[in-house]
Amino acid sequence: MSELLTLDEVDRDGAIRETMAAIGDDSRAGFLKRSMLATGGIVGGGALLAAIASPAQAATANDVSILNFALTLEYLEAEFYTEAVAMGALSGEVLAFARIVGAHERAHVAFLKKALGTAAVPKPSFNFRGTTENQAKFKATAQVLEDTGVKAYAGQAPLIDSNAVLAAALSVHSIEARHASWIRHINGAAPAPVAFDQPATKARILAAVAGTQFITGTPAMTASGGSPAFTG
Amino acid sequence: MAVLEPADARLQPSSRARVVARLGTRTPEGTTNVVLVLTRVERGGQLWIEARLPVLPNNTTGWIKRESLGGYNAVNTHLVVSTKRFTATLYRFGKPIFTARVGVGQSRWPTPTGRFYVRNKLTRYSSPTYGPLAFGTSARSAVLTDWPAGGFVGIHGTNAPGLIPGRISHGCIRLRNGDILRLAQLMLPGTPLTIV
Repeated sequence: MSELLTLDEVDRDGAIRETMAAIGDDSRAGFLKRSMLATGGIVGGGALLAAIASPAQAATANDVSILNFALTLEYLEAEFYTEAVAMGALSGEVLAFARIVGAHERAHVAFLKKALGTAAVPKPSFNFRGTTENQAKFKATAQVLEDTGVKAYAGQAPLIDSNAVLAAALSVHSIEARHASWIRHINGAAPAPVAFDQPATKARILAAVAGTQFITGTPAMTASGGSPAFTG
Repeated sequence: MAVLEPADARLQPSSRARVVARLGTRTPEGTTNVVLVLTRVERGGQLWIEARLPVLPNNTTGWIKRESLGGYNAVNTHLVVSTKRFTATLYRFGKPIFTARVGVGQSRWPTPTGRFYVRNKLTRYSSPTYGPLAFGTSARSAVLTDWPAGGFVGIHGTNAPGLIPGRISHGCIRLRNGDILRLAQLMLPGTPLTIV
């Protein structure tokens, strides 16, 4: 058996093929056509996400820390895609990708904030340094961000205490992997280049994020003390 | 957008274009210097931002290299001040959400008209002349050009509310203290400002 599994090897009882046939037209063209008309809302997965929607589910300090780490990454991705769509530099399938994935990431942010309640970290300020304003830069950056997200979730999953939190994290992880495959395909890169992904530690992910310099301090636009020097 | 490093604002999106202003990273009040983005363009692989500038002559705009500026921060409010009707109206998504009577500049020190933006918010300062809170703007007095710190026009409270409405100031837009505090609940720095 080769390292790259075939559908024949995996779907020995035909269950997967049967499911795909029941779904119907799942061609890329059909999916994109539906997505271009979408309002950006997310459909499905409600029951699983509802299992963790209560802050009580993320009770351990360890799980709160992991969820906040995930939230920071989701803030970054959500803002990246939201800004990229707003900048107007994207077109065709790249624009469709940004709209759909942006909606997913915003849903991830909303879900994690609800799960964390008052323990949720605030949204940072961002400077994407032109990567949302040029299609080529956007495509390259999106691939890096999605690959990083996949590694980050894989690195944290074994450390999660609560089964409910783990299940929710896995449901997000698989979506990030789909995002990564999609942008890789758009970029002409192999969607699934290896049989086994390597997880990354939190420290390694944070170092990678710091290296982008996307997360910035908030501009100081208020001041106290002294005396105004306006004309009066 | 914040000005991250000292930067030249140019007449056109080109490194060969005339410099119309040199921008620092801080305002006279010590806050982050910000500019209001108007549009973007890419020329020869270089991204340029056209921005409204806090310089004289008023209403000056210029082109700044993207890498000299920080991240985008969207605002959904717009403040419109009428020097004829002595009103300040704040719009959110185009709908009025606040209005108040104001005092504006005396005829010898007129409040400048045109398009500007709110640069910062100042609190807990020592001068009661400015009321409990003040906003700095990018508008500058065209006549008080030797005023300390550049003659910037502020939007602030007052210790003489009985003078409002009217032409009463050195160019600043004065609100009664209750009104400036209400405005501060609704308006953030970065808000575009139109003075007519």
